[in-house]
Amino acid sequence: MTVQSGKGIESISAVCLWIPIFSLRCEEHRRPELMRRPTALLSPTDSRRLWQISAVARHTGVRPGMTVSQAIGLCPSLTLCEPDPVHYDEAFTQLLLTLESVSPVVEPVELGRVFVGMDGLEGLFGGPVSQLETIARVLEPSSSPVSHRPLSSSWAAAARLGWAHGKFTAWVAATRARPGTPIIVSDAERIAFLADQPVAVLPISSDTHRRLRQLELETLADVARLPETALISQFGVEGKRAWQLAVGFTLDPVVGRERPEPIVMGLDFPDPVADRTMLAHALSKLIERALSHPQRVGWRVQSARVRAKLEHSASWLTEVTLKDPSADCARIAAPLNVRLEQNPPMGAVEHLAVEFLSFARGTNELQLFARDATSAARAGQRRALHAAAHEIKDRFKRPLLYHVVEVQPWSRIPERRYALIDFEP
Amino acid sequence: MVTNTRTPLRTDRLRTLNVPHPVRVEIDERGRPVTVGDHYCPQEDDDGRAETSGGDGGPPPCQRIEEIIEIWRIDDEWWRTPISRRYVDVVLEGGGHVVLFEDLTTGQWFVQMP
Repeated sequence: MTVQSGKGIESISAVCLWIPIFSLRCEEHRRPELMRRPTALLSPTDSRRLWQISAVARHTGVRPGMTVSQAIGLCPSLTLCEPDPVHYDEAFTQLLLTLESVSPVVEPVELGRVFVGMDGLEGLFGGPVSQLETIARVLEPSSSPVSHRPLSSSWAAAARLGWAHGKFTAWVAATRARPGTPIIVSDAERIAFLADQPVAVLPISSDTHRRLRQLELETLADVARLPETALISQFGVEGKRAWQLAVGFTLDPVVGRERPEPIVMGLDFPDPVADRTMLAHALSKLIERALSHPQRVGWRVQSARVRAKLEHSASWLTEVTLKDPSADCARIAAPLNVRLEQNPPMGAVEHLAVEFLSFARGTNELQLFARDATSAARAGQRRALHAAAHEIKDRFKRPLLYHVVEVQPWSRIPERRYALIDFEP
Repeated sequence: MVTNTRTPLRTDRLRTLNVPHPVRVEIDERGRPVTVGDHYCPQEDDDGRAETSGGDGGPPPCQRIEEIIEIWRIDDEWWRTPISRRYVDVVLEGGGHVVLFEDLTTGQWFVQMP
């Protein structure tokens, strides 16, 4: 049995919280009348196709990926919704913040799927049953003794919960659970539980799934019966991972998100300032200084607050949450300047401070949504190349890809001009 | 060719590229190559060493040399293992472009890519 190690806080005991069709449910929470109608969400990338569909729409034969005309042909009363990714992201962020009131180890995977690490919380919440009850409680919008950040809408009716050691088993348990009836897989039951599951639960590519079906491998027990080397020779790294998951060798821990501490930058005015232009300028300078703080590197600002000490012991405070987290001074300053204009301090300011309160990761997201599509494509190609190189090395136990390097390109002896060197990304 | 990634050059892990392979060459009265034949398709084995086995179809047939682009001679490294070669850059019948050289110490001809 192997336990992966890595940076950050880790937890082997994992709760998987899964809310299927999360984005569509966000729309239903916003417009409750949709719950009784056949509803479909349009794809964010192709507005002619459906992305997520409600259970009512599914009964009429509508399926994700269908064109709008096909779907309307099957279900003329289908209600179509334009996607609102920012709203879904905000709702998911709110859900994560709520779960962080239960455990500091929270690992989001995708919209609607999140792992919560429960190691060391037995003393606080009790065993797995009590832990799941606690999580189910914080999913209710009513205030709870645990959560300080109650949700605006209830997810309890839709959430499926699975408890196990290792993320994979917890995820499989969540997919088998029903809302309100979580599944707990103890360590003793884990291997037997996994053996009965279909290969569809394995986190592998659709092509590998197709090939497994062609080989008539239907359950994880079928995969586990094969030698590991056979899987590796057929499917490379994916085969190795699939085999290790199927036999229950992998206990992948939940890895908590790094959360930087708030960054605060302040400025004392020698003479109290009431001029809004000067305050806006000072605000901009403070944001620039806070952005250049080394702690901020790799993170985008999600929410910021401005505090001011006024003459005669009064104070002023405003806070904004950015819809799109940013590391750009102008984007952060704009909503704060609007607040400054609409609701200015009621006196001259002696001390002004900017606080960056919460952050969002600034790496993958920036690549995915990079304005520069070419650089995003390059990053994707590099990732694909690295993955292919690792797979070849894994399969053949040595690198078989090479760089061509210049040695003596001017040489009149051709074999001395270039040479090969192992390609190791 | 891959762009220079500024990765440190590990000379102990360098593998040769464009290794010359022995070949049979017919020459005319002035010593110029006329046909090239019986040279074996250069293939690399798993360790990166050149193999001299023929492909599925065995050694390719003789090919007539259509044009001689350039001839030069190298006399080098007399202080260790002397290199003395006469190179002929040629275009083969059908458009193939190869470099032939005669090892002047042994009289053996070799072929490689330009």
